[in-house]
Amino acid sequence: MKARDAIDVLARHRGEAVAVCALGMAANEWWAATKSEDSFYMHGAMGFAASFALGLALSLPQVPVWLINADGSLCMNLGCLLTEASQAASNLKHFVVANGVYQTVGGLPMVNDGRTDYAAMARAAGFPRARTIEALDELERQLPAIAAEDGPSLTVLRVEPETGFLRTPPMTYEGPEMKYRFGRALERRFGIEVFGPQGY
Amino acid sequence: MDVTARIHEQLTKCGVRIAASLPDDWVAPLIERIAADNQIRHVRVAREAEAIAICSGAFFGGVRSVALMGATGLLTCTGELATLNLRHQIPVFLIVSQRGSIDDHRIYQEVQGRRTLPLLEAYDFPYHIVDRPEEVGAIPDAFEACRMQKRPFVLFLTRRLVKGEGAA
Repeated sequence: MKARDAIDVLARHRGEAVAVCALGMAANEWWAATKSEDSFYMHGAMGFAASFALGLALSLPQVPVWLINADGSLCMNLGCLLTEASQAASNLKHFVVANGVYQTVGGLPMVNDGRTDYAAMARAAGFPRARTIEALDELERQLPAIAAEDGPSLTVLRVEPETGFLRTPPMTYEGPEMKYRFGRALERRFGIEVFGPQGY
Repeated sequence: MDVTARIHEQLTKCGVRIAASLPDDWVAPLIERIAADNQIRHVRVAREAEAIAICSGAFFGGVRSVALMGATGLLTCTGELATLNLRHQIPVFLIVSQRGSIDDHRIYQEVQGRRTLPLLEAYDFPYHIVDRPEEVGAIPDAFEACRMQKRPFVLFLTRRLVKGEGAA
């Protein structure tokens, strides 16, 4: 399964979900597939997209929040699995695009290459539902049920590392503009106040 | 009213609805007091940067939040404060013990005492030090300053404030 194809399937089944993407390959592929402004694309804090998504999910408990994480980012702070499990946010779905390499820096292998079972780790942390999907047709078949189930759940998407540098371009805006586009998109969709009457 | 009750009251006045924390012994009583408040969702984290990112996500949900930690924990998350909050101009309000002060006779806090404030100044992160119970009323102003300045804002609690005058 290729990362782009897996992300395309997620994007088609996204429904009303707001997405939070870990920086790098996950963010770039989600942008390529959705061009969505009601998604937050991390540009830093590698390892903490899961925590950002948890804070968002706890703040908007009626809104499905999908975390598009990657194995490199997850491994930066595996403790996030304990925090997610403890908070039991039923609106939070955690997807891990796992290619076993640091794709955007040239595909260098990750630590413990090929031996880590992230779904088992999530179950051990207390996630009620966690699984690994390795084939595109399997992902197509399972995703409607995954989207409909109560969170927190963790779904590992085992994808092939790409040969050579994956040059999917990043989103075309960044920094403060991303803050305002994302925040304003959520204000419009959910009638909430993110910025206040004076714009901050 | 003891000082933790006063701080809790001010956070409620700020509209805080989520608190994410990892304790040191100076802020532990405040954390447990907040944890007992069913109007505030309390999130215990495994690493302080998680608290930073949780509060950042909550900002976009329109929910006011606070991150609580010790000074050593603050030092561990300066990278995330820079690459998430400074980069995107996302406000995050932190309440942190001001460890390593001259009345903190713990050798493992000594470097934090000397280098934390210069580090925050290097990043251009504003801070405010609360040293006396009567100064706790400044919290709503500090919270608003954090939102206006769109960056991390650290409210330090001194040893005298949390442990009392002359405590060993």
